[in-house]
Amino acid sequence: MDSSIVTSLYGEFAPLAPMIILMIAALLMPAVYYATKLRDAVTLVAVAAIALSMFFNILMMIDGYQGDYVGVFVYDAFAGVMILLFQIVALLTAMVSLSSSETTRAHYGAFNSLLLAATVGMMFVATANDLITIFLGVELVSISSYALVAMKRKDPRAAEAAVKYVIIGGLSTALTVYGLSMLYGVTGTTNIPEIAAALSTQDFSWAFGIALITMIAGYGFKIAAVPFHMWAPDVYEGAATPVSMFLGTGSKKVGFVALFKIFIVIFVAASTTAAFATEEVQYIFAIIAAITMTLGNVVAISQNNIKRMLAYSSIAQAGYILIVMAVMSEYALASGMFHMFTHVFMKGGAFLVVGALISVGIGEKISDYRGLAKRAPFIAFAMLLFLFALAGIPPLAGFTSKLFLFSSAIYDGGLGGGVMTQWIWLAFIAVLNSAISLFYYTRVVKAMLIEKGETTERIKVPKTFTAAISICVVFVILLGIYPQLIMDFCADAASALFGI
Amino acid sequence: MIPIEVYLVFAAVLFAIGAYGVMVKSNTIVVLMCIELMLNAANINFIVFSAFTTDVLGQVFVIMTISVAAAEVAVGIAILLNAYKLKNTTEADSLTSMRW
Repeated sequence: MDSSIVTSLYGEFAPLAPMIILMIAALLMPAVYYATKLRDAVTLVAVAAIALSMFFNILMMIDGYQGDYVGVFVYDAFAGVMILLFQIVALLTAMVSLSSSETTRAHYGAFNSLLLAATVGMMFVATANDLITIFLGVELVSISSYALVAMKRKDPRAAEAAVKYVIIGGLSTALTVYGLSMLYGVTGTTNIPEIAAALSTQDFSWAFGIALITMIAGYGFKIAAVPFHMWAPDVYEGAATPVSMFLGTGSKKVGFVALFKIFIVIFVAASTTAAFATEEVQYIFAIIAAITMTLGNVVAISQNNIKRMLAYSSIAQAGYILIVMAVMSEYALASGMFHMFTHVFMKGGAFLVVGALISVGIGEKISDYRGLAKRAPFIAFAMLLFLFALAGIPPLAGFTSKLFLFSSAIYDGGLGGGVMTQWIWLAFIAVLNSAISLFYYTRVVKAMLIEKGETTERIKVPKTFTAAISICVVFVILLGIYPQLIMDFCADAASALFGI
Repeated sequence: MIPIEVYLVFAAVLFAIGAYGVMVKSNTIVVLMCIELMLNAANINFIVFSAFTTDVLGQVFVIMTISVAAAEVAVGIAILLNAYKLKNTTEADSLTSMRW
């Protein structure tokens, strides 16, 4: 089996194959719920659509399929890897929202519809080759996410989170569009390779400087980098836990993909030919990365709410991934993408555990987790793995991906050696931060394993949660001991993006 | 003919007014209106660049931005309505149940 199935089915729309299925499913969702009144049926259709879309995407990825749709959507190795990541996030979220006690009952069809629409938006950004498509994709994700957060309608915390999210999101949109308009003015086109070509023949101008600053700020809000991070903890705490998981692992990556698409392509093209402010922008990203990981980890120490703690740890992880933007080498991009993958399973898994426990009536405070190892051994064991993976304990996935990512800031060839880069201080700060993060992860582990709870009554977690958590456990271990499974694709993807 | 800088400065001033409003206004509906101002500043930029380079893509972008902004405001107002039902106010200062 190869990608010829996809091309014969879709013809010239083949590069959009993974998205078309999900778009149709997204539109069908409310109708399915209206017709059947069964939550199971809706989830079944959603999961089937995501699985089919994933099947097509994996065929295209393994086959090395490349193609474009009228020049604005390009499917290459980079798009394939990122689409796979977004599909995994969507699959996990769709599975667990069935049995989560926090998701809406009355509007379950609309909930799934928004979930799939947001996933389609993410995929649009991954394949986009034009500023317009990047912008529309990011907005599709954002607007769907506002509604997803607000769907927990009776909860004042969710309402407050949604208001904050929509205002900060709107501000970020406005900043981004202003930056894009300046970029369009400087280069006279919206096609990314053409922008890169146009920039390589001109000098740095004040208009381009404004474009850079507003775009960094705009996408900084999307990825929750300090100082644009204030919304993230509130939104992750207020939203239903499956939605928090979707935002923290999927929606945040969209900002990174947009940053990679715009900045790396432009800078690789521009730095080879003309005198340009590449170095300065790399320093800006390096400083943002250092502050983001430090603040995220330090503030997480004082949190008592687990969702809020995970949100701050998510901010710190965004800081790690920003190392890619500072180093801007092919190896850094590949390892950054690999870290995004492992982050889905580690952070996603941790959010799933929290969601599963909320569904059976356990609170979200760390003290509520006392004695969990006796009450739900598998869940406690899974949480232990996820938290240790996030802290970077070998041989789990987080250790491997952090090793790749941090080594890329030391040698330009990463683990393969090579010339030492000037970003070694950034790697030092990142390693120091990993040590800090171990402190607050251990607090949860201590509560679960060592401290005694009030009861030892066994907990029965809903089946879809157990299944989703099991998937995460398998991949957290598998990617730790066999990283080539994804890393090889990431390396292809990085060379594809650097080759534009 | 009016030089391009005049339009750009006009758009930049509009953008600055919007950004100022977002930072100082406490009524969330006014904040949403200020965000619209910022978006329109970007739209003016697009149209001016498009007119001066005779490239239509900028105008296409403006149509996309306007429709996205409409969708965003529709969702935003619905969210504000829901918050108003639960809290009886749309002041940003009342949204303080979660901090740090």
